[in-house]
Amino acid sequence: MDATALAAPSAAVSSAVTTRGAIVIDDVVKIYDPDGAAVMAVDHCSLNIEAGEICMIVGPSGCGKTTLLNAIAGFHEITSGQILLDGEVLCSAEKPKAEPSSDRIVVFQNGALFPWKTNLENVAFGPLMQGKLNKTDALEKARAMMADAGLAGVEHNYPGEVSSGMRRRVEIVRALMNEPKVLLLDEPYRALDSLTKSVMHEALLEIYYRNKVTIFFITHDLEEAIFLGHKVAIMTTRPCKPKKILHVDIPHPRDYSVLTSKRFRELMEETNDAVHEEALKAFAAGEKEG
Amino acid sequence: MSAATVDERADDEVVEILRQTMPLQVARDDLLRRIAAAGRRVHYEATQVLYEVDDIADDLYIIVSGEVRHTLGPGAHAKEPTKVLKAGDVFGWAALLEKTPRRLARAVCTKPTEIVRIGGETLLRVLATDADVGDVVMSRFATMISREFTVPDLADQLRRIHRKMHAKDIQGMNLTLYRMSLWLKSPRPYLMLIGFALFLGFWYLAVEVWKLPRFREMPGITAVIKEWVSREPTYGLSIYTDEYYKHIWVSVWRVTQAFVLATLLGVPIGLFLGWSKKFKEYVFPVFEVFRPIPILAWVPLAIVMFVATESAVIFLTFLASFFATALNTMLGVESIDESYVRAANCLGASRAQVFRHVILPGALPFIFTGLQISIGVSWFSLVAAEMVSGQYGLGYVINTSYTMVRYPTIVIGMITLGAVGYVTSALVRVVGDYLMQWRTRELALGGR
Repeated sequence: MDATALAAPSAAVSSAVTTRGAIVIDDVVKIYDPDGAAVMAVDHCSLNIEAGEICMIVGPSGCGKTTLLNAIAGFHEITSGQILLDGEVLCSAEKPKAEPSSDRIVVFQNGALFPWKTNLENVAFGPLMQGKLNKTDALEKARAMMADAGLAGVEHNYPGEVSSGMRRRVEIVRALMNEPKVLLLDEPYRALDSLTKSVMHEALLEIYYRNKVTIFFITHDLEEAIFLGHKVAIMTTRPCKPKKILHVDIPHPRDYSVLTSKRFRELMEETNDAVHEEALKAFAAGEKEG
Repeated sequence: MSAATVDERADDEVVEILRQTMPLQVARDDLLRRIAAAGRRVHYEATQVLYEVDDIADDLYIIVSGEVRHTLGPGAHAKEPTKVLKAGDVFGWAALLEKTPRRLARAVCTKPTEIVRIGGETLLRVLATDADVGDVVMSRFATMISREFTVPDLADQLRRIHRKMHAKDIQGMNLTLYRMSLWLKSPRPYLMLIGFALFLGFWYLAVEVWKLPRFREMPGITAVIKEWVSREPTYGLSIYTDEYYKHIWVSVWRVTQAFVLATLLGVPIGLFLGWSKKFKEYVFPVFEVFRPIPILAWVPLAIVMFVATESAVIFLTFLASFFATALNTMLGVESIDESYVRAANCLGASRAQVFRHVILPGALPFIFTGLQISIGVSWFSLVAAEMVSGQYGLGYVINTSYTMVRYPTIVIGMITLGAVGYVTSALVRVVGDYLMQWRTRELALGGR
């Protein structure tokens, strides 16, 4: 028994074509109105995300990216415009708040595994609550999915007992248990150190190659965005709307060697200015408010 | 150049190789160095066989230089059976599997080869010294195994890193015992004993040796202890009299009734206060007006309301406990991170399920903080109530002993009250630990 492939992973890409999970964000506006002072968080934002695509949303902290995610997930209302998932209207001016559902699952910035449930119970939570599987089957499926994701051995630990990188993976597996159309990731790797982060990126891609879901991934890290995404949307700072959309033509499957490739550097250079400009604007706005 | 520096250089080389292997990328230098130090360097000639299929797998191999041909047996269902391994490659990690592992392959040197061998057990032990990284390393091994082979469950057999003191395998009451043993091993119990000794010593010196003016009427420690353990106590109360236990029992029973009542009412009301904004708007202002009223202020009304003294005492005891429990439970619900509720909504939980699986367990730490306070204030208000009315109980003992000038008995009553109060609050803590193992285990990992 042995391993030579200690170097980079080269997971085979499944040939299955995904047809579920296309998102259309159509002219969405979100105005917060705290004490009558209307603050525009999202300004006539339109964005098409194809089924099975990894779409990275890049922008400085507080630019309104999360507002967009919350609208898709159904946590917040929109003011006007509409969001469609596979042609069905999630929310619009008439029905401003989408219904949260297991076809759009959020992986939260600070992690939201229930600390009072073991990792296994966390992963089995979705199907159990929806009554899709009975307890035995749900736990069995959860165990299998965790093993697939390299998480064998921590099933009976509580989330607080494993590393933060591992917690993120458990949370992603918990989402995938429900066979969602879309994964909504809200800066999930923000709190991780850069080493763990690099491991998590490859792990996420591995999981993605196995379960083609649409991924809506919010980040402020351009390198992360280009490494992972098919499409990178660079957002303007408050109000938030796409400033530049980049199609990353580096073929999948990708591994860490991509980071040092010439094309990757070119794409970084192409977009770096746009991101920096928005970061400066966000900083200046912060100064004014402060 | 001394032998030591040669060793160090050789270790550096191994550390570099280790660092490049996928599972160990996350390890820090000091951990890699310890792993390297745990290995031994062996030189093999060309054509020398390292192991055959089904040999006992003891060591993990890291090639420093040379070349090894590695052929997996048919049992391994390998995607590519034969591989040529070169410097920097790691192989033979069947050594990390559980239950006397066997080799799944045959390994032969094809050139003169330098190899570092590390015992599987030893490696696990070294990894266990850094449990956070160790866990990640082992899970990466698991990922690699499942990528390389199609043997079912092979990854499951991968031995787990046992964190500090195996806290993850300890359940329920054992965990409490485990924490107790940790506590006994720490200096804390001994510091505590010293604290007691200092206090008792001061009491003895102040009253009986120095006879300080302020303490002239105080019963001395020897007088109290003599009375307490006397078969024929001067004032009629010692550990040999039934009367003594009757007083304790009556107080404990009253506190139990009041505490249970306060919990049964306080927890649900607290949960609803936190859960429903509307309910809170109705109820909370009333709450905030009643809460600061001291328990003694309630005594006259309690006596007027309840004809039976017993009910009046229990009502007074209940009152303070109830406010503490309800208030903390409410804070507990409000402290729950919004993302837990959102996550549960995403995963398809109904409102009732969210309440049962998120709100209730999420508020539990606060609820138990509330119960700890509640049991404490219930003793406090019990004594106040018993001093005013009642025929039995520790508060009654203290009060009547004062009016009848039985000073040592006052102190006996006080000490008993302290001890019984401590035991009841420890019981609440034990129940809390039992119900919140996730929390206890986290705390145990932190060595608390």
